[in-house]
Amino acid sequence: MRESLMGKYVGARVNRVEDKRLLAGAGRYIDDVSVPDMLHAAFLRSPYPHAEIGSIDLTAAQALPGVHLILTGEDLKSRTYPFFGTLNFPRFYQPTFWALAVDRVRHVGDPVAIVVADSRRLAEDACELIEVDYEPLPGIATVEQALDADRAVVWPKSKTNLHYQASERFGDVDAAFAAAERVIVETFDQHRHSNQPMEARGIVAEVDPSSGEMTIHASTQSAHMVKWCIALLTGRRPLRRVVRQMISQRDHTKAIFKGMADYLKATPAMVAALKEMAPVMLKQNVTNVERTKAMNGAFVGLMGRDPKTLPAALAGDVGGAFGAKTAVHREDVAVCAAALELGRSVKWIEDRNEHLTVGSQAREESVDLAVAVRHDGTILGMRARLTIDSGAYPGFPYGGAVIAARLARTMFPGPYRLPALEFHSRIITSNKATYLPYRGPWEIETFVRERMLDVVARQLGLSRAEIRRRNLIGDDELPATMVTGPALDVRMSARRVFEKAMDVTGADDWEKTRAEAFAAGRRIGMGFATYIEAAPGPPGYMDNVGPGFSAMVDREPINAVLEADGTVTLHTQQVTHGQSHETTLAQLAADQLGVPMEVIRISYGNTRTAPFGLVGTAGSRAATFASGAVLLATKGLRDRIVDLAADLLEAAPSDIVVEDGRIHVAGTPSIAVTLADVAHAAREKGDEARGAARGDEAIRVSELFDGGAGGWSGATHVCFVEIDLDTGLVKIPRYVVVEDCGEIINPAVVDGQIRGGVAQGIGAVLYEKSTYDDQGQFQAGTFMDYLIPTAMEIPDIEIHHVETPSDVFANYRGVGEGGAIGAPAALCNAIEDALSDLGVRITEQHLPPARILELAGVIPTLSPSR
Amino acid sequence: MPAFCYHRPATVEEAVGLLAEYGSDAKVLAGGQSLVPLLALRLSHPEHLVDIGRIDGLAAVDDGPAGFTVGAAVRHADVELSPVTGRAAPLVAAAMPHIGHRAIRNRGTVCGSLAHADPAAELPAVALAADAEMVVRSASGERTIPAADFFLGYLTSALDETELLTAVRFPSWPRSTGGSVAEVSRRHGDYALVGLAAVVGVGDGGRVERAALSFFGAGATPVRVTEAEQVLVGEHPDPAAFAEAADVVTKSIEPPGDNHATAAYRAHVAGVLTRRCLAEAAGRATGGGA
Repeated sequence: MRESLMGKYVGARVNRVEDKRLLAGAGRYIDDVSVPDMLHAAFLRSPYPHAEIGSIDLTAAQALPGVHLILTGEDLKSRTYPFFGTLNFPRFYQPTFWALAVDRVRHVGDPVAIVVADSRRLAEDACELIEVDYEPLPGIATVEQALDADRAVVWPKSKTNLHYQASERFGDVDAAFAAAERVIVETFDQHRHSNQPMEARGIVAEVDPSSGEMTIHASTQSAHMVKWCIALLTGRRPLRRVVRQMISQRDHTKAIFKGMADYLKATPAMVAALKEMAPVMLKQNVTNVERTKAMNGAFVGLMGRDPKTLPAALAGDVGGAFGAKTAVHREDVAVCAAALELGRSVKWIEDRNEHLTVGSQAREESVDLAVAVRHDGTILGMRARLTIDSGAYPGFPYGGAVIAARLARTMFPGPYRLPALEFHSRIITSNKATYLPYRGPWEIETFVRERMLDVVARQLGLSRAEIRRRNLIGDDELPATMVTGPALDVRMSARRVFEKAMDVTGADDWEKTRAEAFAAGRRIGMGFATYIEAAPGPPGYMDNVGPGFSAMVDREPINAVLEADGTVTLHTQQVTHGQSHETTLAQLAADQLGVPMEVIRISYGNTRTAPFGLVGTAGSRAATFASGAVLLATKGLRDRIVDLAADLLEAAPSDIVVEDGRIHVAGTPSIAVTLADVAHAAREKGDEARGAARGDEAIRVSELFDGGAGGWSGATHVCFVEIDLDTGLVKIPRYVVVEDCGEIINPAVVDGQIRGGVAQGIGAVLYEKSTYDDQGQFQAGTFMDYLIPTAMEIPDIEIHHVETPSDVFANYRGVGEGGAIGAPAALCNAIEDALSDLGVRITEQHLPPARILELAGVIPTLSPSR
Repeated sequence: MPAFCYHRPATVEEAVGLLAEYGSDAKVLAGGQSLVPLLALRLSHPEHLVDIGRIDGLAAVDDGPAGFTVGAAVRHADVELSPVTGRAAPLVAAAMPHIGHRAIRNRGTVCGSLAHADPAAELPAVALAADAEMVVRSASGERTIPAADFFLGYLTSALDETELLTAVRFPSWPRSTGGSVAEVSRRHGDYALVGLAAVVGVGDGGRVERAALSFFGAGATPVRVTEAEQVLVGEHPDPAAFAEAADVVTKSIEPPGDNHATAAYRAHVAGVLTRRCLAEAAGRATGGGA
């Protein structure tokens, strides 16, 4: 039976529940958190891309009245555990490092010391009084420099700046290239740019002065991740005390091991993954001893810790993240270490200069690509080499670059028939800030593929629509399997979405329109991009990142609670940061329960009440995972409510109707009971009726959803541009997105997600660049240097929906990342189209006006290429 | 932001007295649109801020026989919205919509922009094109500085550290003269990559009598390209003359290159703006409008 709901709320453009407080200025962001006796932290950061730290003189800073504590990297060695790599891949080096720089700084903004003072201003004043003796080293600022054997290595223990390599072949690549009528080769570059949420990073480490226990207020995408990462890396004590504690809490230690054993027993996929990974893990443990020691030390430290001293984490409203807040940052650990040291609460709010410099950078990638084709445009195979500049320090608990590399490889075929693919990945380290995930971290696959399809079409004399039609997988070919592994189920609608986009925009008549405009002296262009997005992808999709990933993350817990007063609370591990979960999940629950939305409350971001999950909100997974979990749990809750109401109304459960929060027997709406009545009855009746209810809850139903059939979202973007070749300015008179994210819970929310993503994609091409010079000096530390598009630059974005109905449970899919995935390719394709008569081929993604005029041959080429 | 001592004098005398006392340790605060970001980034560490925002008499716009005078506390928005500006100082009026965003114009001051002497800002170039005069006070008296002598270098003016720019005076707008301000910026409201404030005066014979081409974003100070101005004088204001002037501009100007645009780009666009602004200014000069 079709389980999806199209009720009173689901499918409707319901006003956002969040907006009432957010638009009234009553949101609670991290800087709104204020706790008694709180101190303020600031960081002294490296002005050099790469330097040895000689001496650090704190005397003058420590003497400043109002300064409570200054810690350097050296001080953290006894107070924290170092950051270490948690992933296991062959030919992968993960450095071990501290929250504050030790011996050496590795990028501009590398934190060297934390100062805690009565106010932020005083802390910053003290930073200016710290004397650091730096011995500058040559910086690594480009891939070429990183791979130059005569240059410095960023991490001496690895002996090379090449930290990850993988080569894989899918299908018969040699046969594909042997059969090719043409092989077309190109290299595409994407420049480093940045997430830049409105709210930068921040943390308040609240320490209870009586118990010393810590509550972490965080601006994060996952509260449990923050809790456990901070627990893992802070609170270091000498090993003998750790061991003594383990012995004194022998039962607890046993329980940890039993829990692990039980988990493995219940999760054969994880056992298989561990077996598969064992040789790699063993090799890494032997070759990277520093990491092995760090990892063992931290985990043993965590086990030998009184569980009562574990921190709790709280997330309130989060003013955007786009992936940057999936990490626990070095500053977070330094702040928590300082707070624990002082026994006082410490707040750190990142300023914009810091956020631009170190807070979140991404996307610095290039791909060398060869495509084997027939003259008719049929693609036979591809050879690709991806290179990522991951900066100096990987993110924690995992580095964004390696995940991006593995997903870009997986997604490289997109919704096209690609019989053979050879894919090489390289990740280099450089003297730049940490590479973090950014909205669609694998976006390079769409940029490169959609750019290359245009190049191939021009070379073969085909229209750009034609080459896509020749290669897009149609409905009649589904289900199918991507050559890289993932299954494409029958709901994958890329071909239909593409055709609708062509219809809506009249793209097939474009050549004529453009020719007329050119004749009239107007330089216009159109470009499109088609992609699919694993949001969340088919079952097991995350195993493409690495063995065991799906087993780890494909579990969405939820608790649905009928409260004593008749309201309903849903406790989720999701941490909404702009996705409108308080609205969409409430819509689903209200329709499922038959109650007004106002009855539903979404509770999130508190590790004391939220069910356990490390993912939080990330990867466009919530639309399926959280929605499915809500449907399961509210179905269970509804059954219990109906049973109790049936007793109260002396009727059979099958005759009970729930409408607008009133529960009655079908046909006699005048005699009704309320949810409060049912809650009262449940509490009277006791345990059996109440499920796992705690305290004064009436009924609690807990569920775990595995993602079911999952599925794909997808879209075609069509971008129109007009270019002024006097100035190089690009206008976007029309931008169309046709998308399919399954059944839509709330069209306003879907549209908002798409618009935000498209704006970021447009920003990448025309405005945003985290510029470094060729020494690694950072040059975009303010919003005068790093340009974000405003409402004046972003056009109205026209959105059309394709909904592919299905009997699949929870046929809702994510749409958070797609806008940012499709826009760079569509815009660059449109710009090349507008310059096509000049023979321009665009191989880079950042196209400010000077670059446009260079490409068009109006001015000499002097801009750096990336 | 570093700590500082905040002063709010009630009179010009008091203000210049503070400047005389503190010299280079003091900064004048008016609209704060340039100074406050510098403080927030800790790029400037003044020990004393002298807020001139409440001084009586500095907040007036006056259109008198001496010209159009804008006091030191007058906000951009006051000038932009004043019914007098378009008639009395059309070049200033033309520049206004290009200055930052509305929120910036609501706070920032005309004299503040001039005193800050940012070469990429509109008003220094406008002052230079329109032959404005800076009225300057210090404890030892008042002097006036012609715009041509005022902008000395990047963020550097002829103001002594003890001096306060109390007003800027634009001479009365001549007859048969048109002005135009245009710029290219990466985003709406950004500082210009390069911009131009142009003035064209047309004589009775229909030929150009006077031309001013004052570029911003084109050097360490606003830049007049006199060679190109001279090309125009005595010519009919037609596209051929404008194109010739534009060529001279592109060849002779030496703008900086940075991460937003190369020098070659700025030189090219300076030529484009020359053609566009001259056409508009000449149209206004001959069409009777401003």
